[in-house]
Amino acid sequence: MSAIRFERVEKSFGNHVKALDGVDLTVADREFVAIVGASGCGKTTCLRLAAGFEAPTGGRITVGGQPVTEPGPDRAVVFQQFALFPWKTVMQNIGFGLRNKGMPAAERRERVAAAIDMIGLSSHADAYPHQLSGGMQQRVAIARAYVLEPEVLLMDEPFGALDAQTRVVMQEELVRLARKNPRTVLFITHGVEEAVYLADRVAVMTKRPGRIKEMIDVKAVREAERWEEHARIEDVMDLESFVHLRTHIWKSLRDEKAAGR
Amino acid sequence: MKAHSLNAHAVRRDKTATAARGNAVKFSRRMCVGMATLVVIAVLWYVATTGLGLISAGRFPAPVDVEAAAVQALVRGYPDTTLLVHVLHSLRLVALGFVVSVALGVPLGMLMGWNRTAEALINPVFLLLRPIPPLAWIPLAILWLGLGDEAKVMVIVIAALPPAVISTQAGVRGVPPHIVEAAQMLGTPRLRFVLDVLAPAAAPMIFTGLRLALQASWTTLVAAELVGSLAGLGYVLNVAQQDLYPGMILVGMAAVGVLGAGSTALLGMAERRAIGWAQLRGAA
Amino acid sequence: MIASRQPLPLHRSLVLGAIGTLTFLGFWAFLARSGLVSPLFLPGPVAVAERFATLTERPFAGGTLPAHVASSLQRFLVGYLLAAAVGVPLGLTMGWSRLLDDIVTPIFDGLRFIAPIAWVPFAALWFGTGIGGPILIIFAGAFPPCLINAYRGARYIDARLLEAAEMLGTPGYRMIAEVLLPAALPSIVAGLRISAGLGWQSLVGAELIVASTGVGYMMVQAQGAVSTATVMVGMVAIGLVGVVIDVALRALETRLRRHHGQA
Repeated sequence: MSAIRFERVEKSFGNHVKALDGVDLTVADREFVAIVGASGCGKTTCLRLAAGFEAPTGGRITVGGQPVTEPGPDRAVVFQQFALFPWKTVMQNIGFGLRNKGMPAAERRERVAAAIDMIGLSSHADAYPHQLSGGMQQRVAIARAYVLEPEVLLMDEPFGALDAQTRVVMQEELVRLARKNPRTVLFITHGVEEAVYLADRVAVMTKRPGRIKEMIDVKAVREAERWEEHARIEDVMDLESFVHLRTHIWKSLRDEKAAGR
Repeated sequence: MKAHSLNAHAVRRDKTATAARGNAVKFSRRMCVGMATLVVIAVLWYVATTGLGLISAGRFPAPVDVEAAAVQALVRGYPDTTLLVHVLHSLRLVALGFVVSVALGVPLGMLMGWNRTAEALINPVFLLLRPIPPLAWIPLAILWLGLGDEAKVMVIVIAALPPAVISTQAGVRGVPPHIVEAAQMLGTPRLRFVLDVLAPAAAPMIFTGLRLALQASWTTLVAAELVGSLAGLGYVLNVAQQDLYPGMILVGMAAVGVLGAGSTALLGMAERRAIGWAQLRGAA
Repeated sequence: MIASRQPLPLHRSLVLGAIGTLTFLGFWAFLARSGLVSPLFLPGPVAVAERFATLTERPFAGGTLPAHVASSLQRFLVGYLLAAAVGVPLGLTMGWSRLLDDIVTPIFDGLRFIAPIAWVPFAALWFGTGIGGPILIIFAGAFPPCLINAYRGARYIDARLLEAAEMLGTPGYRMIAEVLLPAALPSIVAGLRISAGLGWQSLVGAELIVASTGVGYMMVQAQGAVSTATVMVGMVAIGLVGVVIDVALRALETRLRRHHGQA
């Protein structure tokens, strides 16, 4: 069981900045939840707390029932800036986490080869990150996370640094991957369409200090309207049910912007 | 990280080719002018000393004097042995001092860069001692260790340690937080983190410090040998000056320059091999 | 193993700094007093302080400490100002004139690797123990940063500024004085600060070898007379003067930058 549970989580930085003010959120086992919100609302902070890079100042976060104390390969992170080690090749980058686990070399090579195959970069196994495009680098980062077979996958605006066309390709690939090899995923983005396309449920966050404003069940709609029958992302985004969900979330976010200052 | 289109490779290849061609043109033009200048200077040198006798041989050697001195230094030896022996002597000391500085300085710099408490404790000593130029330690070193090699190595280490520590510290501080977090997320044990993540990430800055440390090593060594020594390039320069032998002085200075340039080039080669991945990235 | 990304709170770093300093001084004093090393070779901090006070009034090796310092400073200023007066205009002009750049750079690159200190025997030959010798050494040390920084400041100037000036028909010398110089000023001033430090260091080296007055000379004499405390006093004095020069130039740098709207 690898559910993520935020219970009345609060996070302040120093004396002045309160990023989160009582976040309650549950990501069920193997569920794909996206958090959307304006910049600075605290959604990335949520991810960082779940990852163990920061500690909450109030409330608690548990993964699989255990409180989060420090980062680890059970909660793999995909960063917006890719965070690949520039001095290591693609293969070495993907295999690094497995080395830390003490996996013997032969088994490791097998797993890494399978992962490189999965992301379609077998011909670039010995390339260095700077020789790859942004999309390819992020694919390596995703493979690096996946190969750990983590309970939880934490993705922090992973496609934010990519150009529009690459982003679309990556979104389609991620959906394929997520449906084939489902994991508990927490996905942070400020792109509403991306969230609706990828997630089972979408959490809308208020502006700072952040709380979960509402949860939208996408999966029910997706299965009822059979989005998977449409191969291409632009076809899905044309569907009335998709547009309806998207507009609903936009409006919710717009209200956030208008409210208060 | 800049966004790359899938066509980035093709575009980048084109740009590099054009830039390379432009550089080639610039380079050959500079070479022509450079050669011309050298020729002019050589001619002036010859004319001023040998041709017109404007400058006496006692003040500045004529080309033929320098040549004679070079021959003597290389073949018969001056003052006691050949130039090569003196060069090796100096080289040995610089190498020793440099290696010790790096072996002490890089770990210390990494500690101070990573651990703020260690930094706060050690920094004051640094701040107190830094204003004292390394050369100012020479009399003290001679008092403590005599005129031999030990004193020279001590002063070299004093000179080369700060750049190594400071740039290593800066390098560690400058490691992007997401690299550190990625390593933590991947469950990296401590030793591997230091050797396989922190050190490579900080390597570009560390090498900059090493270059400075090498420069400082040479300067200090030559100075220390000039103050008091029984062998080495500084010793050659000293004796030549006392003997009023300007041709040999020039030979000695040239040797110092060549060795400095040569060792820097060697370090550059090592740098390129170690951090080839950083060179191509431009901004780190 | 989370890295300490945040700087320590001020009071904490001050306390730790004090502990570090006191440990250092205490260790020094302990070593000196313990008898492990002869007091001849390692006077304690107090002894050095006393010697410092003594030397301000009583001469050693031909002068009191202030007299030696003044002598060194005098040489330093001449050499440094000369280096700046030659290096900065030359660097600016090189940044402007590609031809001059092509001529001078190879010469400069060739001479650059000869440590300034290696010019000492040569200087001794030319100038004997006169003031010319140390000045040459200081010049050799202070010249490169002046030149390089002025060059970089001029060379990497925003091309549009140059184009605007050209369009306005600016003659050569005015281009250098009124366009390049102000734009390159931050770089130049940084270069002046760096070269002051290098010049001061080179001076020390020169005085250790060929001088008849000055702090370096005093130290060499003290070393010969096995007066370690005097040697240490010399080191402290050199350090202090170096700090004062650096602080003064940093203040000047800040003022100039503010004045030119680049604070």
